[in-house]
Amino acid sequence: DGQLADPLLRRVTVSLVPPEPGETADDWGRLALALARETGGEVRADLAVLRELPAVLRARDWTVTADLGTAGGPEHEVVAVQPGRAAGPAYGVAVDLGTTTVAAQLVDLESGRVLGTAGTYNRQAAYGDDVISRIIFAGEHSGGRRRLQEAVVNTVNSLLAELRRLCGIERDAVRAAVCAGNPTMSHLFLGVDPAHIRLEPYTPAANFWPPCRADDLGLDLHPRAPVHVLPGVASYLGGDITGGLTASGFGAEGRTALFVDIGTNGEMVLGDGDWLIGCSCSAGPAFEGSGITCGMRAVSGAIERVGATPGGFEVVCRAIGDGPPAGVCGSGLIAALAGLRRAGVINRAGQFEPDLETPRFRSGDAGEEFVLVWARETAHGRDIVLTGADLQNLLRAKAAVYAGLRTLLAAVNLDQQDISRVYIAGGFGRFLNLREAVAIGMLPDIAPERYTFVGNSSLRGARAALLSGRRLAEIGETARRITYLELGEGTRFMEEYVSALFLPHTDMGLFPSVRECE
Amino acid sequence: MALTGLAIYKLLPKTNCKECGQATCLAFAMQIAAGKAGLDTCPHVSAEARETLSAASEPPVALVRIGAGENALEIGNETVLFRHDKRFVHPTGIGIIVPDTLDDGVLAEQIGRVNRLSFDRLGQIHGVDLLAVRHESGDPERYVRAVRAAAVHTPLNLVLLCAEPGTAERALEAVGERKPLLHAAHAENLEAMVALARRYDLALAVRGRNLEELAELSGRAVQAGHKQLVLDSGARDVGRVLADQTQIRRLAVNKRFRPFGFPTICLAAGENAVLDAAVYIGKYAAVVLLETADPADLLPLITWRLNVYTDPQKPIAIEAKVYEVGNPGPEDPVFLTTNFSLTYFCVRGDVEAARVPAYILPVDTDGTSVLTAWAAGKMTPEKIGTFLESSGITKRVQHRRLIIPGGLAVLSGKLREVTGWEVLVGPRESAAIPAFLREYWSR
Repeated sequence: DGQLADPLLRRVTVSLVPPEPGETADDWGRLALALARETGGEVRADLAVLRELPAVLRARDWTVTADLGTAGGPEHEVVAVQPGRAAGPAYGVAVDLGTTTVAAQLVDLESGRVLGTAGTYNRQAAYGDDVISRIIFAGEHSGGRRRLQEAVVNTVNSLLAELRRLCGIERDAVRAAVCAGNPTMSHLFLGVDPAHIRLEPYTPAANFWPPCRADDLGLDLHPRAPVHVLPGVASYLGGDITGGLTASGFGAEGRTALFVDIGTNGEMVLGDGDWLIGCSCSAGPAFEGSGITCGMRAVSGAIERVGATPGGFEVVCRAIGDGPPAGVCGSGLIAALAGLRRAGVINRAGQFEPDLETPRFRSGDAGEEFVLVWARETAHGRDIVLTGADLQNLLRAKAAVYAGLRTLLAAVNLDQQDISRVYIAGGFGRFLNLREAVAIGMLPDIAPERYTFVGNSSLRGARAALLSGRRLAEIGETARRITYLELGEGTRFMEEYVSALFLPHTDMGLFPSVRECE
Repeated sequence: MALTGLAIYKLLPKTNCKECGQATCLAFAMQIAAGKAGLDTCPHVSAEARETLSAASEPPVALVRIGAGENALEIGNETVLFRHDKRFVHPTGIGIIVPDTLDDGVLAEQIGRVNRLSFDRLGQIHGVDLLAVRHESGDPERYVRAVRAAAVHTPLNLVLLCAEPGTAERALEAVGERKPLLHAAHAENLEAMVALARRYDLALAVRGRNLEELAELSGRAVQAGHKQLVLDSGARDVGRVLADQTQIRRLAVNKRFRPFGFPTICLAAGENAVLDAAVYIGKYAAVVLLETADPADLLPLITWRLNVYTDPQKPIAIEAKVYEVGNPGPEDPVFLTTNFSLTYFCVRGDVEAARVPAYILPVDTDGTSVLTAWAAGKMTPEKIGTFLESSGITKRVQHRRLIIPGGLAVLSGKLREVTGWEVLVGPRESAAIPAFLREYWSR
């Protein structure tokens, strides 16, 4: 790996000519001129740098190393100056501020090498599982906003501590950070009032954030390290998406593409890089296992494959790690929906067929349910079941995703066959079986080779920005270009949603490959 | 065919400068495509694009005004054949015809009756819009006198049903300031009538013997420099009118056939006048004239017009009021939910399945579901408290126990405090309502 072209923070060593009698140039003017020659642009510094500057310049005979921060433009800002040549490279950290999980990645800003990645649960969960509850908590409890900010900063700091220990790095060597999160996460991380994100007409405080300093936020980096938060588009379309979109290479082919983040908020963007239109379809957390009787995250013991014989007499499940199962994760839930439909256990409306004769079908406390795994074969000795309400929950989640996509297409008068590439993002996306996702009508029935999985693209977007000011500026451009479609306006989304509350859809013509199978 | 948002976008400067009031050029293009914005608000559009777009963004049906000042009746600007595709824009102007053969006293009385044709619908006053004076007497003096009397006695906008240019001219000398609709130019009088309409700057109805002639006359009027036109296909039989109206709207919207790019006028007379007028209101008529001034004839037409021209682009919601399942008494359970129709009918179905008489109270949340309403702050304890009072449920039950959706459990404490009702947190899913009632609701 060579030197990077334009990381957000670069280290420049200059040797200045000492002032001679009769010269009137000041210390800062002398340094600024030399640095401007190196960067080819204008250089600024604030008072904190100037206060110590005279001694720093003279300590190693007018040779100093300056850390120059940029935001992608021609201007550079002196973040810190130290005497002599720099000892060791500067590091940066990319952070994905997820609602449920937070991930951080330590990067060498000279080579771009990733030194380590760490992830953990967002400590804000103590104040609410979803963004709405946290917005309400921030507004209704005194000091609520401050507590939420501390919780997420503490979460990030715990990851930083882990990464420093892992890589053997001092706190002050980490000199820049880029964070990506949805708008609510960005507001709460920066301590900005999020109240109006959830109230009509759904207005965030800002979509673009000025860079701030680590010590303003309480982050355990070099105290003057610049911290950038990626720009968003609207109340429910944020920097995690704009960053992910740019980092995944979306639109580079210049043909119509679709980017879908299959998560609780269900953000998606359609466009060709020139024009872009996006929305957030609020799929809910069903595919992350939440709100489902036996749902769980995709960890060891989670069922990810399901097969059933006609009538539902035999069911074969495979859990992650091949051990006894403990619950069902998102991909398993999709597989179960597709498998039970094929086996004739459920009808098109996602309801159990009434006259099933298999002993797996029974009446439970919460209505009808179907046993996927009997207690004697599970990790915890309880039956793993899918209830009628679970099925409806899944149906609603998949309908929201497909309806969001149809509404975007309708807004620009395009057909799903016009989509030449689909990028599937989100932690969940890694476990997704494409054929089954199409079979239940969640994703459009187009050629499988048009699909690409991009995983946690939010973290990738943050890293791309950290390593390149140009990329950061590009993400800003993308954010400015996206047209946000408010799905609550008009009746289109609701009509599409109701039409999608079927397996796979009310209009079978949209799913020719599924029709062939039946 | 109209341009799509994307096609318009390709002609815009793509600066995303927001000066038009939209966040992006694409959003602006979509507004133009929907007919909700004009090109004028974009300061950066090129002359070339302006030329291409102004033709494309011109409305398929021209906007025409009848009357002067703020009370003028606006018609036209329609863009669809079916209201569910977008919406119908300008409600049909309803007018009553009075003949000039009536004696002065009788005429004044009749005009008074027309003036009083207004009704309260959903808290708003809706009435007839036009008074049409028909030249039947053959005596120009008499016609001018009748028109003068009409102008004095009614605040409504006027229609002059008079195809004789000379007589029309004399009537306009008296009431031209009020910009009446002049009806009608036909094959023989077109040039004179167009000249009159231009001189007084008013809307002119053009009547053909059939659609072919109508297209030709409309084209001639436009060529003569007048674009404030209202079309009359000459048909008076309801079947023929229906066919003509449909053709005119179809050609204007789907084919951008310019001679038919104007609002239409229909006359309904005879035994079935009210039924015929109802057909015309449903099928594209911008103005409907009737001969009756009987309130019993007008009330249904005005109600129907209000319904047809309601904006259908609103969430699918039901009315927020107390609903009964079975035949509930003062001791029966009360379920709280939202007025989103999908949510309401889920709850209703499951309460019915429980075979327990009950009340359902759907709060007005603008047609959003329980969790969506909660997320958007539309399902607050205060709002629920107000609804408990205003709905009248307090008078229908003796207990004070409210069953709320399990998804709203977080509201229960505050709700109890605000309303004074005991709050039972029901199941998260309505499917579990029967089991819930068995366990927690005993009489």
